[in-house]
Amino acid sequence: MRHLLWIVVFAALVAVVFGAVAKGTNRHRLIYGLKVFAQFLLIGLALGWALYFLPFR
Amino acid sequence: MGDKHTRSDFSEGARRRAWLIGVGAWAVPGLGHLIQRRWVRGLIVGGAVWSMFLIGFSLGGHLFTVGGREQGLAVLVPGLWMVGDLGSGLLYVLCWVLNLGFLDTPQAAARVTFEYGNTFLVVAGLLNYLAMLDAFDIAAGRKR
Repeated sequence: MRHLLWIVVFAALVAVVFGAVAKGTNRHRLIYGLKVFAQFLLIGLALGWALYFLPFR
Repeated sequence: MGDKHTRSDFSEGARRRAWLIGVGAWAVPGLGHLIQRRWVRGLIVGGAVWSMFLIGFSLGGHLFTVGGREQGLAVLVPGLWMVGDLGSGLLYVLCWVLNLGFLDTPQAAARVTFEYGNTFLVVAGLLNYLAMLDAFDIAAGRKR
């Protein structure tokens, strides 16, 4: 659960900066920031599950 | 002729100002926007970078430096991390002067959140590079 918390915090802070420095209106920036946040979370979770099934040990 | 001279002076002054703002934005996260009265953007960007750096530190993250122990291409590994960490500006320099966060002990590395801390610290620096370029672009008139 703590891992999920840290990836949420990480994604939120990165999305805030990406959204703030993006071009366009405030509405466009907000949507872009939310998109970045969702993408970080979804890709992070997908990679986490993919690595779980790979036999590294 | 006189007009041309004045315009040239202005562009030189504006260029110097943009570079100074870029350096200020690198040195203190958020400062580049605050100097240009972009209060909201400065507080948002600066707050996010400072938060990432402090969270990374509290998670037991480690700041990288090239210590001379590495040989050949192995220097690239800590070197690349160091370039990322260095983006935090004076925060990195201050930690380096005070020798905070540079110790790489097995106890520190054994913490569950050690790698999270490293990632937060390096990404804080990388985000500040982005903020620095944004502040520079605004000062140079390329962006609003």
